[in-house]
Amino acid sequence: MVSAVNTLIARRWMSRLLSLAGLLLSLSANAGNVDLATVPERRTVQLTIYNAEDLTLVRETRELNFKPGVNPLRFSWANTLIDPTSVELRFPDAAGGLELLDTTFPHDKPQSLYWNVRSDTERTARIEISYFTSGIRWEADYLAIADPDERQLRLDSFVRVRNDSGEDYEDAQVRLVVGTLNLVEKIAVLARLPVGRIDELKREEYQNLRQKAARPLMAAPAAPAAEAVGMAADAAVLEAPKAIAKAGLSEYFIYSIEGTETVPNGWAKRLRSFVAEAVPMTVEYRYRPREYGEALTRLYLLRNDRDSHLGGTPLPDGRVRVFRADAEGGLHYLATQNLAYVPIGDRIELNLGADPAVLFKEVKERVYRDQFWLQIKGGTLYRKLGEEGLKLDVDSQVAGWDEHTVYRQEIRNYSTQPIRVQIRRAYDGDVLFRSRLNPTLHDFQTVQVERVVAAGEKAALEYEVVARMGYSQKQSRVEVQAGDPGR
Amino acid sequence: MLPTRLLLYPLGVLLLLGGALPDALARIKLTTLPVRERVALQLDHAQVALVEEERLVPLVQGRNQVDFSWANTRIDPDSLVLRILDTPDGAEPRAQVLSVSYPPHENALVWTVAARTAGTARMRISYILGGLNKSFHYRALADHAERTLVLSQYLQISNSAQEAFASAAIQAEVGPRLERPLGLNETKELRLNQFAAVPVRKTYTSDPLRFGYLDRDQDKLNVPMHYVIRNAGAPLGREALPEGKARIFQDDGQGGSAFLGEDRGAFTAPDDELKLYLGLARDIVVRRSVERSERQRIAGNLYRYDVTLKYEIENFKDSPATLDLVESVRHIRDSLYGAVERDPEWQLGAGSLRDPDPQHSDADQLLFHITLPPRTAAGTAVKQIHTLRLSLNNEW
Repeated sequence: MVSAVNTLIARRWMSRLLSLAGLLLSLSANAGNVDLATVPERRTVQLTIYNAEDLTLVRETRELNFKPGVNPLRFSWANTLIDPTSVELRFPDAAGGLELLDTTFPHDKPQSLYWNVRSDTERTARIEISYFTSGIRWEADYLAIADPDERQLRLDSFVRVRNDSGEDYEDAQVRLVVGTLNLVEKIAVLARLPVGRIDELKREEYQNLRQKAARPLMAAPAAPAAEAVGMAADAAVLEAPKAIAKAGLSEYFIYSIEGTETVPNGWAKRLRSFVAEAVPMTVEYRYRPREYGEALTRLYLLRNDRDSHLGGTPLPDGRVRVFRADAEGGLHYLATQNLAYVPIGDRIELNLGADPAVLFKEVKERVYRDQFWLQIKGGTLYRKLGEEGLKLDVDSQVAGWDEHTVYRQEIRNYSTQPIRVQIRRAYDGDVLFRSRLNPTLHDFQTVQVERVVAAGEKAALEYEVVARMGYSQKQSRVEVQAGDPGR
Repeated sequence: MLPTRLLLYPLGVLLLLGGALPDALARIKLTTLPVRERVALQLDHAQVALVEEERLVPLVQGRNQVDFSWANTRIDPDSLVLRILDTPDGAEPRAQVLSVSYPPHENALVWTVAARTAGTARMRISYILGGLNKSFHYRALADHAERTLVLSQYLQISNSAQEAFASAAIQAEVGPRLERPLGLNETKELRLNQFAAVPVRKTYTSDPLRFGYLDRDQDKLNVPMHYVIRNAGAPLGREALPEGKARIFQDDGQGGSAFLGEDRGAFTAPDDELKLYLGLARDIVVRRSVERSERQRIAGNLYRYDVTLKYEIENFKDSPATLDLVESVRHIRDSLYGAVERDPEWQLGAGSLRDPDPQHSDADQLLFHITLPPRTAAGTAVKQIHTLRLSLNNEW
């Protein structure tokens, strides 16, 4: 079916109206300066958008008439971000009857190509054109609103599609790919190169391989679409937000947005991916300087699993905004953070920063040293201080000792709730950690202490760190010991 | 059904006077301007201000486009949350948001809202707004005897957000919620609290590390004065005192007040002390000298240092006073024997200063309270001599 007939003068063929990924069925020889072309309309268009790289697979179908013999087709895409080497033409219905003879990229007409298609008979056939474009992105974002008592929260998950590709996509089926494609490795396989040498590829070569690597995934069949919801024309029926079907595929998830979407160039659209109500959560306070800096950090902890009314999908990377509702329904802003991809079943940690209602201070109470070893005359002989026969005034240097430092960790909880506090402190060297706090080792050099501090309580946790220094340092590890700190 | 479009302007006319919309096709014009029913300014976050406004929005059955646009204001568009209220727990919602669209080159967004039936929906729109800055400050009026003071706490909001609020419920991290208007470019000062009869302690401090010498050649230390207020006990102690500038006055005993000075008060948690600097005392003289410094070999290059510091203290005032004498052991060691990284290991010897205040002393700092009598009737000050003896063990 031919929807429009246009006469084009070659110099005008790049005009914006027709250049937007237009497909022209040339009715005259394509070498001339005067063209007559037909413009078959898009029948369907499907966007598969990948959020980790600027890569979108567009798959569109059009219907057109073929005469017997060779049919020249021109495909052009002025002012859009289509990668010309990625354009592919298929005939989904007419296998055998239609044959793509060749593809030509004319030197005098940038951003266009010609196909010669041979048809065995006069026919109307559906063609499918696919290509990669950049400029279409999607990203996830989240809204978390905790209950006033901070035992449950509501998590809204959104996807936002932004179209800066230069082309308006109307009524497009939109699919979003979740997950980090390990394109580099695939590129390496295709290029027969070690991964570390990918950089050596030329840019064009890299792009080409990247697309090849991505294509099997992006061309994957659509996830089963959610049941269509009737429009709100019926009385007293509330139109529901579009369902977003989530289907796993190999290591990835594909989100298919129900129905079709129109995203004009320059616009962004945000749709709800899911909402989870009454997600159980806990509040924890953590001191982990390596992860959160020097402040005692308050966190909301939840899980992406079925028990938590979540777990239907991994949570793609995205920004999460955290609020707390008050008893009057007002919101209090707590934090914004970037959530890294959360697999199904994994923990979700929302970092709210320091809490002014909880004071956390470490006080160095006292320091003392013992177990001195002296190196005699700079040689290889070492004597322990206090040993019999050690001459005090001989030329000798302190070579090893134990450094004892007694600390008091103060935690004052002025909030109205008891709080769970976890403290991790890492020590370099050969260290003994002595306390009555039931410490555990998080790793070979990190001590972990946990404590619940009641509302209004002023907790003082005492511990002693014995560092074996110099000659006395035998290995790099931390040992925990139950005992009273200090001498 | 043609969608109904509603425009919500935080800025009212400003946008209407703005230029033509870039894409007339996509940006259909205003039909209704639902007014704000209620505005709350949540200033309880340390960095950001959250505006929450409630509007009654007429909806038609089916799809509605609700336009929210702004100009010249710094609304964080990603922070916008639209909630439709009036849904009792467990009931089916009357209306819900289907999607949000962001037009290009505009400070605007369009919510597509589906409504079950035609009617008015109560919507609450929250967003983070830049340009609303807050600070706290204090006014302290001490009584004539400097035993108690009246501490007034103020919240100052400066509105450079290019947005006026006819009436807003303002809530900071401390203090009550106050309903006030806040105009364009206005700075508003609200009294949050007035704490009466707050016990105050006037302290005189000598701390060579922090405050240094008044006259190094004469060994005279600076003696700064502070008002110390403990954020505990009625009427204080329920909330932290956020940091802020404090102006300090004293009842002059003649019905007026005298300005004593101002200081920046630090964040003071409950049970902590707020210290406000008043200036240097000239009538309390503290001379500090090193009376003894000895080095004794333990073995090889391992030594013990014995140090005695001597303080000559005179109070030329007519009233008694307490001197807070502070020393850093590391500072003493480093200045006498050279700086090393390791912490000092020390013991107090048999000087006159033997009982440091355990609340304010630790592995390095020592604080002693010394009571100073007033000068005698004859006008002479009593010179007190104190010694601090320290053994610094295991140094090399």
